[in-house]
Amino acid sequence: MRNLIRTIAVVFALTMQVSPLAAQTQPKQQEEFTPVDQLPPQEQLPAAPLLVGAYAFVLLMLFGYLVMVSRRLSAIQSEVTRLDADLKRAGKG
Amino acid sequence: MPKWFQPATLLCGAMFAISPFVIANAPYESTMGLVQKVFYYHMPSAWLFLTASVVCGIASARFLATGNPRHDRTALAAAEMAVLFGLLTLVTGPLWARKAWGTWWVWDARITSSLVGWMIAWAYLILRQYGGPGSEKLAAGLALFGMANVPFIYVSVNYWRTIHPATTVVPKLPFSMGFPLLFCLAAFYLLMFLLMKLRTRVAEQQARLDAIYLSLDEQA
Repeated sequence: MRNLIRTIAVVFALTMQVSPLAAQTQPKQQEEFTPVDQLPPQEQLPAAPLLVGAYAFVLLMLFGYLVMVSRRLSAIQSEVTRLDADLKRAGKG
Repeated sequence: MPKWFQPATLLCGAMFAISPFVIANAPYESTMGLVQKVFYYHMPSAWLFLTASVVCGIASARFLATGNPRHDRTALAAAEMAVLFGLLTLVTGPLWARKAWGTWWVWDARITSSLVGWMIAWAYLILRQYGGPGSEKLAAGLALFGMANVPFIYVSVNYWRTIHPATTVVPKLPFSMGFPLLFCLAAFYLLMFLLMKLRTRVAEQQARLDAIYLSLDEQA
């Protein structure tokens, strides 16, 4: 029982010491909003993701289109070759 | 494909691989900073979009005048180029504008007329795909409107109030910015030429395939 009381007393004492620290880290309460024209530098939109996004989009789209057209061409060419061979075989037969 | 196609493709690939290093060495613009470097891909895309629209219009006019299917195939390939490079222009522009202007989009004359031109190119392709027999002539008429829109897009920034940079920006570029732009422009034009060749080849082979199927039908 005495140990329990001692533990509660220590925890209470620590809490009382910590609470002013916690109060110090909290932001100051705002009483009014002040408008500014420019965002502070740490708040501004970074340019790098937009730049990288633009270049990545261009390169991906160009590569995608190139692959798409190449696949269409090879599919059509193989069909033409197959049909040509069929026609020649039918002509001989 | 012709013999020069493969070396030209390798050259184009090398130019695109080198282009990020050329762009990285270009100086920063004083007011826009890093994001201004979108310009080196945005402007070539925009020029190719306009060039493709003009090529599509001229080829369509020649097709309407002569009826030669070769011009029709060129127009079809150019319309696809206009859609592709128009998309690149309309996506890279807002990515640049978000940082430089604080907004993704403004309905000014340049951007709105570019969007209209891009939709005309889409309309051409949709008409070709779903319009049925005879749609190639209707689409060719539409391509003429797409071509007529091009000068309007180009000069719009000089006549209407806009925050889009004026056409005087490019001739006034210092060499350190002009060289990367010319390098990217050359790479993009070479790419467009190769893609046009490839796409025209697809259309030629498709025509050959259709002719074979027709002769098979006649034999049956």
